[in-house]
Amino acid sequence: MTQKKEYTCKVVSKEFLTPDTAYIGIDCPEAASSAVPGQFVNISCSKFLKRPFGVASVSDDGKVLYVGIKVVGKGTEELSGIEAGTEISMLAPLGNGFDLESYDSYILVSGGTGVFPVNFTYETLKVSGKKVTVVQGFRNASQVILNDPSFILTTDEGDAGIKGTCIAGLDTIDLNDHPNAAVLCVGPKPMMKATGEWAESHGLKCFVSMEQRMGCGIGICLCCTVKTKADNEDGYYNKRCCKDGPVFDYAEVIW
Amino acid sequence: MSAISVKVGQLDLKSPLILASGTCNFGHELSEYYDLSVLGGISSKGLTIKPRAGNPGVRVAECRAGMLNSVGLQNPGVDYFIANDLEYMTGLGCRVIVNVAGHSEDDYIAMVTKLAPYKDKIDALEINLSCPNVKSGCMSIGTDPHEIEKITSLLRSLTDIPLWIKLTPNVTDIKSCALAAQKGGADAVVLINTMLGMAVDIRTRRPVLTNNTGGYSGPAIKPVAIRMVSECYQVLSIPIIGCGGIECADDVLEFMIAGASAVEIGTASLVHPACPVDITADLNKYCEDNSIELKDLTGTLQLW
Repeated sequence: MTQKKEYTCKVVSKEFLTPDTAYIGIDCPEAASSAVPGQFVNISCSKFLKRPFGVASVSDDGKVLYVGIKVVGKGTEELSGIEAGTEISMLAPLGNGFDLESYDSYILVSGGTGVFPVNFTYETLKVSGKKVTVVQGFRNASQVILNDPSFILTTDEGDAGIKGTCIAGLDTIDLNDHPNAAVLCVGPKPMMKATGEWAESHGLKCFVSMEQRMGCGIGICLCCTVKTKADNEDGYYNKRCCKDGPVFDYAEVIW
Repeated sequence: MSAISVKVGQLDLKSPLILASGTCNFGHELSEYYDLSVLGGISSKGLTIKPRAGNPGVRVAECRAGMLNSVGLQNPGVDYFIANDLEYMTGLGCRVIVNVAGHSEDDYIAMVTKLAPYKDKIDALEINLSCPNVKSGCMSIGTDPHEIEKITSLLRSLTDIPLWIKLTPNVTDIKSCALAAQKGGADAVVLINTMLGMAVDIRTRRPVLTNNTGGYSGPAIKPVAIRMVSECYQVLSIPIIGCGGIECADDVLEFMIAGASAVEIGTASLVHPACPVDITADLNKYCEDNSIELKDLTGTLQLW
């Protein structure tokens, strides 16, 4: 087994996608070349704990790993202000990625910070040549990021794309074009729940990437639990989002 | 014997560094980051008679220089541990300490009775009388010196495996608790577990933790732990394992000078998983630079 490491690496690029969402590139060939879609990284800031971010992309030369940072608190505010050249400490890649082998076609659904890991998933699937359809759901046009004209875009306010939630977008898909398909969703919990229900009602498997407040990111503190179905006395089992996930079978999660 | 080897009672440790219970699970995950044989020992996740799902909701709240947790002793249960993890831990190349938690005296008795036959594999039992995140047992026992002495002597009669009593700092007089453990027949005390704390979400006006309160750990609690180690060292004849906010070699030295024979590294592993590797190198360098053996530092503090 390869020894995992805490990397000291440099930020090589930074841009703002929206006023409160930064997109940074981190020069870390070892982590970048081994990361798979759905995995995340833990990045240090001046606060005590590291902050988790889904891998949003990897450069073509496999050297730079990209993450999106949406400001939600003081740690992410500080990290969004990071400039190229800054040295950071990073644990990467962490967690389990999506299964991109077992299905012949994929329907990807994303919203919120979920657009970042789904972007990496889309890029990877595109290279594989498999049929892939992407649905993005945002509140309004000003929130739209990492969009491609081929995506099915939905906004709650209807000022861009289809008015409605991602379900309105999903309903436009011709499933006959998607043989042996799986649905992969990363977004706010209600979006993932609704997408999972939609997939099940169409006889499709759905996998989601869960988000939880994390301590370590490597499975030792047992803070970031996801309640999953289990055949035990409790009727459930608290799995670790960071180590057992963050990707879970929709059907396994207790919503 | 290297310059950093120490003894806790009769137990030789090749290094004073032990991974603290609840911050290393059973060693599998941290083994992906470094060879745990560099350590003096590893203390298992706190175990209970039955599997425990732990507390619901938000379990972690970051604070300045540390964090609150309210995991609530989530663990697979002692039977599962014996069948699946004990053998793995014995293969790690360091001392195996099994952390024992419970809700009642009967629980602790049942736990130690189950673990006693594995004395060839277990180097010490760390009796957790200090977890602040469960409603009964643990800390409610560990704040009463009479209970501490009673339970220690009951467990003492059940096994020859060294008994380390892990105490809570959430008491007025830590000395009386440590002395009670010693009187009950403990081989060592571990000082300290987490400090009971709370964080408030000013937006929702609710505690951040769904359990309302949690255990505060990290560098912020180090001065409290050092003070308690120092106080107890002055009155105890059994060794002390220091624990609380250790992040670097200087922290280890501070604890040892204050009276610790060994130390536990906890929350630091969450942030820098392989920190014990650097700490080990720095401790070796300290010993070489100062031409001393680490164990000779214990209790060399000169109070004003």
